[in-house]
Amino acid sequence: MSNPQKKRNFQIEAFKHKVVVDPKYADKTWKILEHAIHEIYNHNASGLSFEELYRNAYNMVLHKFGEKLYSGLVSTMTAHLKEISKSIEDSQGGLFLEELNRKWNDHNKALQMIRDILMYMDRTFIPSTRKTPVHELGLILWRDNVIYSPKIRSRLLDTLLELVLQERTGEVINRGLMRNIIKMLMDLGSSVYQEEFEQPFLDVSAEFYKGESQKFIESCDCGEYLKKAEKRLNEEIDRVTHYLDAKSEVKITNVVEKEMIANHMLALVHMENSGLVNMLLDDKYEDLGRMYSLFRRVPNGLSTVRDVMTSHIRDIGKQLVSDPEKLKDPVEFVQRLLDEKDKYDGIIGSAFGNDKTFQNALNSSFEYFINLNPRSPEFISLFVDDKLRKGLKGVSEEDVEVILDKVMMLFRYLQEKDVFEKYYKQHLAKRLLSGKTVSDDAERSLIVKLKTECGYQFTSKLEGMFTDMKTSQDTMQGFYSSHPELSEGPTLTVQVLTTGSWPTQSAVTCNLPAEMSSLCEKFRSYYLGTHSGRRLSWQTNMGTADVKATFGKGQKHELNVSTYQMCVLMLFNTCDRLSYKEIEQASEIPAVDLKRCLQSLALVKGKNVLRKEPMSKDVGEDDVFFVNDKFASKFYKVKIGTVVAQKESEPEKQETRQRVEEDRKPQIEAAIVRIMKSRRVLDHNNIIAEVTKQLQSRFLANPTEIKKRIESLIERDFLERDSVDRKLYRYLA
Amino acid sequence: MGIQGDRVRFNVGGRRFETSATTLANAGRDSFFGALFDRNWSLQTDVSSDIFIDRNPDCFAVLLDLLRTGEFCIPANVSEKSLYREALFYGVLDHVRDAKWGQLDGNRLQYSRSVSGQAPGDGTAIRASPNGGCCVVHGSMVHVYNWMLEEHPPINLDFQRVNDAGWIDSENIVITACERLGTGDGGMGLFNASTGELRYKFSVSHEDQEKSYTAGALTFSSDYRVFSSCKGRRNEYGIGVWDQITGKQIDFFYETPGWPLGDADRLQWLSGYNCLLVATLFPRKDNCYISLLDCREKDPVWYWSDVGMPTNFDEKRVRDVIAMEGKNSVCVVNEYEDLGFMDLRRVAGSVRWSSRSRMTKGKMPDEPCYPKLALHDSQLFSSMSDSISVFSGPDCVPTSRLRRSYGGSICDFSIGGDRLFALHSEENVFDIWETLPPSII
Repeated sequence: MSNPQKKRNFQIEAFKHKVVVDPKYADKTWKILEHAIHEIYNHNASGLSFEELYRNAYNMVLHKFGEKLYSGLVSTMTAHLKEISKSIEDSQGGLFLEELNRKWNDHNKALQMIRDILMYMDRTFIPSTRKTPVHELGLILWRDNVIYSPKIRSRLLDTLLELVLQERTGEVINRGLMRNIIKMLMDLGSSVYQEEFEQPFLDVSAEFYKGESQKFIESCDCGEYLKKAEKRLNEEIDRVTHYLDAKSEVKITNVVEKEMIANHMLALVHMENSGLVNMLLDDKYEDLGRMYSLFRRVPNGLSTVRDVMTSHIRDIGKQLVSDPEKLKDPVEFVQRLLDEKDKYDGIIGSAFGNDKTFQNALNSSFEYFINLNPRSPEFISLFVDDKLRKGLKGVSEEDVEVILDKVMMLFRYLQEKDVFEKYYKQHLAKRLLSGKTVSDDAERSLIVKLKTECGYQFTSKLEGMFTDMKTSQDTMQGFYSSHPELSEGPTLTVQVLTTGSWPTQSAVTCNLPAEMSSLCEKFRSYYLGTHSGRRLSWQTNMGTADVKATFGKGQKHELNVSTYQMCVLMLFNTCDRLSYKEIEQASEIPAVDLKRCLQSLALVKGKNVLRKEPMSKDVGEDDVFFVNDKFASKFYKVKIGTVVAQKESEPEKQETRQRVEEDRKPQIEAAIVRIMKSRRVLDHNNIIAEVTKQLQSRFLANPTEIKKRIESLIERDFLERDSVDRKLYRYLA
Repeated sequence: MGIQGDRVRFNVGGRRFETSATTLANAGRDSFFGALFDRNWSLQTDVSSDIFIDRNPDCFAVLLDLLRTGEFCIPANVSEKSLYREALFYGVLDHVRDAKWGQLDGNRLQYSRSVSGQAPGDGTAIRASPNGGCCVVHGSMVHVYNWMLEEHPPINLDFQRVNDAGWIDSENIVITACERLGTGDGGMGLFNASTGELRYKFSVSHEDQEKSYTAGALTFSSDYRVFSSCKGRRNEYGIGVWDQITGKQIDFFYETPGWPLGDADRLQWLSGYNCLLVATLFPRKDNCYISLLDCREKDPVWYWSDVGMPTNFDEKRVRDVIAMEGKNSVCVVNEYEDLGFMDLRRVAGSVRWSSRSRMTKGKMPDEPCYPKLALHDSQLFSSMSDSISVFSGPDCVPTSRLRRSYGGSICDFSIGGDRLFALHSEENVFDIWETLPPSII
């Protein structure tokens, strides 16, 4: 405010002021307030006038006696608290806590009233002099005079800890009183709570649980122990919610976790007859779930569980894939893998909370042992083959999807995906050509899945096979409509297969019966007439034929046979008796196939349309064959199977292997060139690493093979070695 | 005593009042009335006698009315000062403040009053406190006013020239000052607002050696950090960071050559970006440099400068900067009060000057003051010569203009505690603008 200067000269209030003030004013006023504080502590406040006391305290502050008021308050309150402290010290045994609680409540109430009287001081004098506000002061004085009193301090702690111990041993204690006392410690500041109760409480608890866990581990099995540990943990959490500071929960649970779980982790997991492996074997979801939720609380807990589970799965898996007994039936083999996977998916799902790290561990274990057996790709393809041939009949679309998804999951584990592709192609070709596939939708669905997994390149040939089938149908329709005269006589169905899309076959064509070969020639000229620049070669090893046959006593049957078998049977139209050599010469069927074909015609009981002399179990070079006039069957149509080894025989396996290796070469080379084109210069180790990485979605490239390919590329001037550093390769554009 | 049901009878300084306990409850527990009616004090239930309070009845009437209606009206026979004194006695001073003015709205501001001081020379800066007080910088002194505009003891830092001041809260002020060579005087200190007492000085250490320095622009973050631009004697140019509570130095961003930080004119903490806006402007430097520092990475995440702009650029020279987090933009103003905007999400963009029709076109005042910017909620304020413009809405269109002819140009203004303070350059006077409390009817 802008006061004119001259007015100040007449200000004489200050002088008057001093005269009015009674020199003993401050003492007198303080006496009144001091008396009031006494009365408040003595529960005798009903005679006091709040207005008068408030005004007195106000006046003391206004007249600059704030300091006197404040120090008076400190000493008066201290004196009362000392008295209170004495009466608490004198309380008998069990009444100690109750007395403390009662006095604490009294003090709080008195403090509130004192603060009311001194509100003006609290508002003005205290902030400007940076003194402790009245309420806080009351707490500090209580702490220093009561809680820190030597006769109370240790007695309080002992009493509290004793009560906790009683509760742990199953007795019922006065939780309300306990809560009030703990609340008091917390009100006095978090450090008071921590020092006067929390830390000693944690120490004592650690000691308690150390002893108890030792006792349990000696007397309980794993599941039982975990149940007890869980119960203790919940009890402690319950205790915190009932009467401790919420912040203590983490600390006390840490103690229990450390003493009951972390310190006994290995002993629990490996406990004989009841440890983790037994739980896994017996599908003990509840125990496993408990183990998971307890172990996840401690450092390295889950990794311990995971490691044991992983090595267990690997052991089991190794047995599965290496036990020769279990390798006999590929379908069974794959089904066992799937069952094992289902089992662990179930455990991880319901007991391990779908933990990602456990899923990863499961996946890596499967990847590990599936690839231990080099025949896994073949077997998985055979499993699919089995399912698609007959296994899916009458199964709903969703279930088909489920099965296919499971197969894809196994497929993902395969390192040699190209080997799988090889087999899959072979099996698919057989299914398509023999018309054995159950569901076109299922076939296509699986190809889509493979495509999303491995890309277009992987499935383009498989898709080409489907296209060929479709085009062939159209071609056959065209052929017959342009040759109406052919409706009489034998019917020919040709499937035109694009070279390269289909598994390569040795293209040895046998001699077809005259009727058939003329028909084939007609088709050839029709096809080449409509498609110029193509070459047709007959894959007689893959076809089938329906042959009408009349036997000695006039029995008529329609025989469903392979093309080779048809050729053999047709030979018997002209003579009754043929030797092996004669058949071989006339038909020009490769020996292996011919033997197999004769076996199925002459040696399968009940379906032997031919007889053989001598009657032995194998077909020999000197055997002679006759038509079996006594052939009989309940059915008109008879299917003559070919004796085919479902699994590949050892030489076949070698061959496939070789083909795969052969196919890998260009892929490795392409990868090397791609990498070098972009990097220009790279050292040997890095090339190996990058090539392996690029190709791992298809197969695991062999470093030695990569090295060979690099050598070959150097020979062909795609790459050169650096003249100084021989480990460096350069790309030659 | 004077309680019957809800009714309460008082005898205040000889005059009788009758009111209800409900009305008095509005004062809250932490007041004279709150304590009076607490059951601890079990008032005697003697209906015949009134509750006696030995205070001024005229003031009591006003304050009782405040509790009844929430309105604060000062009658002619009572001084404002005595009302504040009585309100402090009853513990309802906060109620008085809340009733005096409402939430600040730039478009509903009313001139409340002016305060003039005795300091020699021009004021250089004014800063509003969070509860409606303010402090004014005059050379080496800082004058502090509480919300009742009573002056507290003034503050100085070794009587060095003060560059900036800021309120950490309504009780604590930080001021930054020039260093006095070789003495360790100056720098930056934290003061008690009501007593003017120095709590501690903020020190700057380089390689474990304490250095004296000149502190410039100042800002605070919500996580209790203090930032200030610092100039030391040698390489100690940059932005210092301290803890508000302990006063200890936490960090120091050294400036890099070609990008000044140490004598920045404006710092602004952007809590949403967790970044510090630093602006060094003309005429302190020949060019203008604005950057956004990421305190953890110690890297500028956004920057702009007019280095290399065409020569006729003078007209568009940036005079003040403010970041508007809500709009993800930086607002700048030139000396003709043209506003320009830059997108904070695009580094090294250009300024989009708004070509609004200038309201102040025409003659410049004799003693011009460069424009300054401030932000309140979503409203932008800009001072230019003797008036302050208010811009609202997403496109910052001009919506109000505050002007008082007395005192000359406005050299600085500040918004805080729902009040706007404007400091004039020619006379030693500052104005207070307030928004009235919401009307009752």
